[in-house]
Amino acid sequence: MTTTVDEAPGAVRPARRAGRRRPKMSKRRKKEAFFFWLFISPWLIGFVGFLLGPMIASVYISLTEWDSFTPPEWVGLDNYAKALTEDPIFWKALWNTFFYAAISVPLGLVIGVWLANLLNKRVRGRKLFRTFIYLPTLVPLVATAMVFKMVLAPSGPFNDMLGWFGIEGPQWLLSATWIKPALIILSVWGAGAATVLLLSAMNGIPRELYEAAEIDGASAWRQFWAVTFPQITPVIFFNLIMGLIGAFQIFSQVYILAPNNNVGGPDNASQMMVTMLFQEAFSFYHFGYASAVAWLLFLVIMTFTVIAFRTSRKWVFYETEVR
Amino acid sequence: MAVAAESPEHVAGRRKGRRAEGEKGTRTLSVFKASPATYAVLLVVSALFFVPFILMISISLASDQTSAQNAFTVFPTEFEWSNFTDVFTATGLPVGRFVLNSVLIATLSAVGQVLSSSLVGYAFARLRAPGKGVMFMIVLATMMIPAQITMIPQFLLFKELGWVNTYLPLIIPNFFTNAFNVFLVRQFVSRISGELDEAAQMDGLGYFGVYRKIILPMMWPILTAIAIFTLTHAWGDFMGPLIYLNSEESMPLALGLQYMTSTSNAMQLPPWNLVMVGSIILTLPMIAIYYLGQKYLYEMNLQGGSAGVK
Repeated sequence: MTTTVDEAPGAVRPARRAGRRRPKMSKRRKKEAFFFWLFISPWLIGFVGFLLGPMIASVYISLTEWDSFTPPEWVGLDNYAKALTEDPIFWKALWNTFFYAAISVPLGLVIGVWLANLLNKRVRGRKLFRTFIYLPTLVPLVATAMVFKMVLAPSGPFNDMLGWFGIEGPQWLLSATWIKPALIILSVWGAGAATVLLLSAMNGIPRELYEAAEIDGASAWRQFWAVTFPQITPVIFFNLIMGLIGAFQIFSQVYILAPNNNVGGPDNASQMMVTMLFQEAFSFYHFGYASAVAWLLFLVIMTFTVIAFRTSRKWVFYETEVR
Repeated sequence: MAVAAESPEHVAGRRKGRRAEGEKGTRTLSVFKASPATYAVLLVVSALFFVPFILMISISLASDQTSAQNAFTVFPTEFEWSNFTDVFTATGLPVGRFVLNSVLIATLSAVGQVLSSSLVGYAFARLRAPGKGVMFMIVLATMMIPAQITMIPQFLLFKELGWVNTYLPLIIPNFFTNAFNVFLVRQFVSRISGELDEAAQMDGLGYFGVYRKIILPMMWPILTAIAIFTLTHAWGDFMGPLIYLNSEESMPLALGLQYMTSTSNAMQLPPWNLVMVGSIILTLPMIAIYYLGQKYLYEMNLQGGSAGVK
């Protein structure tokens, strides 16, 4: 039997495969192969039926104008051209999504690293603090959004609290200026997820490194940047990628927080790529245009993922880079 | 994506034995000394992170009158425990049904993922066949496709099948597993020694027998993690139900809550106290599941980078 312990999933041993040509499979091998295909058939059927098929269909639909009731009408690249050149809402949604991702993801990471670093000290009640910080990430997004919708109401508790300090709070969700900051505050409430992962990474840093740094007389600040930070960069990178992908797909919070089910929010200030796509598809039945927006979203996500991976070589530190 | 992220977690996991800051014996290095400022920051942040919970509780206990005037206080001053029964009767919506629908959708989704991912993951870990490498590359590649790409064609497909306004579009795809879970199971099974199933095969057990009798019983830590992950995801899912379900009777709680806030007319405030009760009902099972299954989720974190809990 194969015992492919710890095999890197990407490396499928192409060299060996190419070098060795089996002239004929034995009966036993054939049977094994048959069972392999039989057993993976749930995934294979799902892949073809729910992923590959729909993807191909999506490309086709994006090149048509289609309301799903009348036959689709071929329009070529018009939908893409419309999004990129004519539709101001697309650019607004794109900008809003960038804005949200560009602030919420780094902010969440900075807070995560900061809190993890504090929790990594010899703190009494560390478990309790960790629980408090992690608990919000267990709350379903819908419940979170409900609480924030209530909290951020113009005469809601948050503005009341600001009132204690003599600050007159803004209209938050009803204001084109403040709805995006409100969404960012909501996302920061979930910083506990990153904190816990970063903390476990910090726990794994060998003590000797700090001992050496201490002997060399490095300050705590210096030790953080010279020892802790390089060691946790892989986890930061992972959270960055996942955070970016998630942020570009933001939907539920926006849908729930936007006032009176006006998904775009005041003056489309909270219109995001996915809310726009959703509206175009399921409110206006512009399936062609919505599919084009979906592919543009995919392109945006891919671009940022690739950029992140490219730059990662410069700042992500892999100790075990031997493979 | 999970591939690239896998190694750091492994490294962290393997080194568990020698933590940077031991709990006992050793002298505390200066970087690990907690100053009063450390405590101050942690206290303030913990408090800020906890305020929404307190609000959730205090609003859920507020009277209808307070709710109608939006005159909530941060700490509870009223204790209308009857809200917790009123939520099922006084909203004009079948909230009990919402909860039932959520349970049904989440459970069946988890069953589907566990059954399918275990079988497929086992095949990828153990069985040999030409083309397996390519297939696994495809599994990994599909992790990168955002759901939005397939959302519209899938909707049109399910509409064609007459599945709109049923639970089927939310449940059935889970019986065809997903790439991430296949990857997790495959990694897990790869670490189990092959001796046992070889011996079992000598004794005449077929491939399905080995899966069913040998591997499946050993897989339960990862399958529990997958079940928890699927449960929490399906329980909290908003967009899926929003697309497919539009009758009150078929809605899960996550969508029902949104419905509750939007049915009141524009001039009238939503029944915030009852909405918060609903939010608590939506939240508590997730916290319970997390605490019961914590160690399995940790297992999953080690296996595939991070599944995150959401």
